Amino acid sequence: MNLRWYHFALWALFILVMALIPELVSKGTLRIIIFANFLAIFAISWDVLSGRTGYISFGHPFLIGIGAYTSAILTKRFDVPIEYAIPAAVLMTMVGGIIVFLPALRIKGSYFALVTLAFMELIYQLVQVVRPDLTGGTRGMSGIETLTRGAVNGYYLSASLMVVVALSMWLLMRTQLGTALSAIGMNEESVRGSGLSTTRLKLFAFLTSAFVAGLGGAFYVHYLGSIAPRALFDINFLFTIIVAALIGGASTIIGPVIGAFFLTFLLEYLRPYLPGAERYFIYGMIALVLYMYEPKGLIQLFSNAWNSLFSRRESAGNQNSDQAGKQSDAL
Amino acid sequence: MQIIIQGLLLSGLYALIAMGFTLIFSVGRVLNLAYGAYLMIGGYVYFTFSQTLGVPKLAGLLLAAMVGCIVGLLKYRLLVKPLKGNHVAVEISTLILAVVIQAAVVFIYGDSSKILLPIIPGVVQVAGASVTYNLLAATIGSWVILIGLFWFVRKTHMGRAMQAVSMDTKGAAISGVDPDKINMVTWGISGALGATAGVFFASYTQLSPSMWVAPLIIAVAVVIVGGIGSIIGALIVAHIIGFMEVTAVALIAPELRGVFTMLLIITVLIIRPQGLFGREELQ
Amino acid sequence: MSIRTSTILAAMASAMIASAASAEIKVGFIGSLSSDTGLSTLRGAEIAIEELNADGGVLGQQIVLVKADTAEDPTEGVKAYEYLAESEEVDFIISGSIDDVSLGWLPRMQEFQIPTLDTWTSYVGIIDMIVEDYETMKPYFMNIASDEALATLYIDFGKDVLREKMGWKSVVILQEDTAFGGAINGLVTDALAPNAGIEVVDTIVYDITTNDFAPLFSRAQDSGADFIYLISSVNSQVVSSQYVKLQVPMGMTGVNVAALGQEFWEDTGGAAGGISTLSPVPSVGFKLDPVSQAFVDTYQAKYKSRPVMPHFNGFNAYHGVKQAMAAAEEAGGFNNTSWVTAMEKQDITLKLDGETWLRYAFWGNDEIEPRTGRTYPHNARFDITEPYNEASPSMVVIQWYEDGTSAVVYPDKYKTGEFTVPSWVKK
Repeated sequence: MNLRWYHFALWALFILVMALIPELVSKGTLRIIIFANFLAIFAISWDVLSGRTGYISFGHPFLIGIGAYTSAILTKRFDVPIEYAIPAAVLMTMVGGIIVFLPALRIKGSYFALVTLAFMELIYQLVQVVRPDLTGGTRGMSGIETLTRGAVNGYYLSASLMVVVALSMWLLMRTQLGTALSAIGMNEESVRGSGLSTTRLKLFAFLTSAFVAGLGGAFYVHYLGSIAPRALFDINFLFTIIVAALIGGASTIIGPVIGAFFLTFLLEYLRPYLPGAERYFIYGMIALVLYMYEPKGLIQLFSNAWNSLFSRRESAGNQNSDQAGKQSDAL
Repeated sequence: MQIIIQGLLLSGLYALIAMGFTLIFSVGRVLNLAYGAYLMIGGYVYFTFSQTLGVPKLAGLLLAAMVGCIVGLLKYRLLVKPLKGNHVAVEISTLILAVVIQAAVVFIYGDSSKILLPIIPGVVQVAGASVTYNLLAATIGSWVILIGLFWFVRKTHMGRAMQAVSMDTKGAAISGVDPDKINMVTWGISGALGATAGVFFASYTQLSPSMWVAPLIIAVAVVIVGGIGSIIGALIVAHIIGFMEVTAVALIAPELRGVFTMLLIITVLIIRPQGLFGREELQ
Repeated sequence: MSIRTSTILAAMASAMIASAASAEIKVGFIGSLSSDTGLSTLRGAEIAIEELNADGGVLGQQIVLVKADTAEDPTEGVKAYEYLAESEEVDFIISGSIDDVSLGWLPRMQEFQIPTLDTWTSYVGIIDMIVEDYETMKPYFMNIASDEALATLYIDFGKDVLREKMGWKSVVILQEDTAFGGAINGLVTDALAPNAGIEVVDTIVYDITTNDFAPLFSRAQDSGADFIYLISSVNSQVVSSQYVKLQVPMGMTGVNVAALGQEFWEDTGGAAGGISTLSPVPSVGFKLDPVSQAFVDTYQAKYKSRPVMPHFNGFNAYHGVKQAMAAAEEAGGFNNTSWVTAMEKQDITLKLDGETWLRYAFWGNDEIEPRTGRTYPHNARFDITEPYNEASPSMVVIQWYEDGTSAVVYPDKYKTGEFTVPSWVKK
């Protein structure tokens, strides 16, 4: 596992900060953080699949949507209690994960990205046409049972979920399994050559990603209280998830979390100054420039800044800066 | 009969839409997810010049193509080249760019959709099907452009160089072709083609800030099903998709129109990843 | 902490903050800042607030307006509502949201219990939610007649004009695949034949992303019907412009939201002649009473960009904000029991030449509308029976002519022109 003391310290610090936030900020800010938490979960889910194995998914809203719709339909139309609906939704999403996995047996690279995009478009059209009495058709559904009321409760729920997901994914990725998944992203042939079953590894990555997506999707819909196909199976939603993961730093766990917080706050803090459409323009431009400048993400920028800070302070302290580099790489 | 006429017309338009996308994909091996934005830019440029400012229609069309070409060149210089070799980064950055362009269009023109006047007004009834001169012109125009493109790629020096880069970039570079220049030209042509297709597409449908998604999906479908490096393949597949859509609407259920296209993409990708007419598999 | 206590505490906290910092009353606008729909509501509210402030404000305080953009996206709508409720802590929210966006933030309205007035969404499903769960839905008001009332009056138009005047006996329904479309389609299909004597020979449902209507119009022509009944509430520019471009040789009327605004002509580049649509009141081509006319004059002096003429929801927002503030004055604030009671009683009747022309009032909670036989709590009061003396009709039919003018053609009381079909259609 290769765990070090500073890993525990950093995670403890992270959890502590997350727990203290409601005492420090206004309710309006809490609401923004709730969205950031959910986006972080989705971005982690994307990252587990695409950031690691290199199979770029353009259809992640497909998985999230299955989770969200399953739970919404079960609770709203069939009066299933939420505590059964959410696990059922997660299972359904994992089935969806297997569906996305099938093409990955034969194709990769850009073709795989496109087939997942086709999945998203397909479900977008089907949701509106097939059984609109269940899905609510184009208008979607409103008045779905919510788990919490109030900003503080919503915050604690979403933050705990995010921390649990982030921590467990981080631990998982530090096992040999995680290393093997990253190896697939670098060179699938050599992983196969070393005697590992890439198919089984990939299936594992897809199922894990789907599990997180389904969990996030189901909790998300029970936070929002409403669902509409246009808000879920949408290129803009996809854009936010992928960009959050990449801008934060793909193939790390904390990166997508940082990216999600950065994007959500960027968009919300622009609101009072630019209420209209120009907000999305600036937001997109910042994302584009940042991504072009450092495709490895904010985490890389932080780590560079950290390193240069240390090497400036004491040029002989190479060990220190190396350790600092490791520290941020490790997260 | 109606199905045949409408299918032929629609397919011609689809072929034109897909062509610029196919070019980039074949030569540069990258997916330009902002391709749909060329169509949107072309449509809005034409709208601004011809419909709002009263510039003659042909000049408006040329202006649209020019702006498309410039955007294509800029995109190559500013996005694709700095990210050289990283397909994923190019795909992601073009996706971000598309969203940025969409926001810019909303900012300038507002949310509500606009209708382009037909480039050539009028309508004729053929065997019970209404055929607008506009769509007829779009179809003929796209055939002319397609034949011209085919000729360009096969017969001119530049076209052959493009083919060479498309097949083997390193090999082409060794034999004295500058892949950078070829890529540049391809991106420019692709932008111009996209913008031209956009004017036809918008005059047939509408202008709206989200109009870039539908043609992108069509282009993606044509390229995937047709396979890379095959203009003829793309042409045939554009017809398969066009006819499939028209048939679905006329005989099955109009609301399932797009579903069949998606199913086709998924099936072909899984069964024959190199596409029906493609010559190689993309790595 | 139980949910109830936390809600009460939250309410108390916000009341305390409101009274502590209360130099002003805050009104929140939620809607798209780049659509004609959203801007109509926003500007209607802005004018009402300016006028109210000039008269000394409300409860002795000045009113300020805070905007939150939804970009017509349901999730952005939820964020916008939360921003208004928790970051800005507004007292009242005026909405120019479209249907799925309103449905998106409704659970937040139920949670925050902030008085909210919708001016565009006409989905009767929301009124049903008030019927089922009055307690949590009661701060919600909708001052446009619900879509069900629109459809009911439309049947009369079918009988009086389409059947009797035009002599049409059969129709093919062309329906956009939306919940609104489905509801209207159901009502129209059930009622047209028995009430208006028009037989529905075919129904064609299409996806909202459809952008090629040639095969659909072919199928409509093959059905042999006398005219097309279009139900398009989301993306109706394409279908109407293609109807004109293809010169489909049969009449087409129905619901066509794009045709509601004065910009329709310009947006379609003039390809709009012969299109007609039902519209909530007031509409383009609608004769205005003096009060509404004064509002339009102020509007046009103040705003030079589109929409140059407010849509119906701009009028709704103008009168609605004034009524909401009057209710606050009566109730002594925006407390959600006393304010709701006061708002329920608001009633403005606008007259033209001594006749009831427009009315801004709400149905009583248990009041049964005689024709549909159901209640419409918190929905705008409408009158769907001639001679429309009780309130405004739920809709009028507007007609665009080939010279770019438009007129109201139904009902007779509001008529300023004649129903017609495009010149290429054989009569």
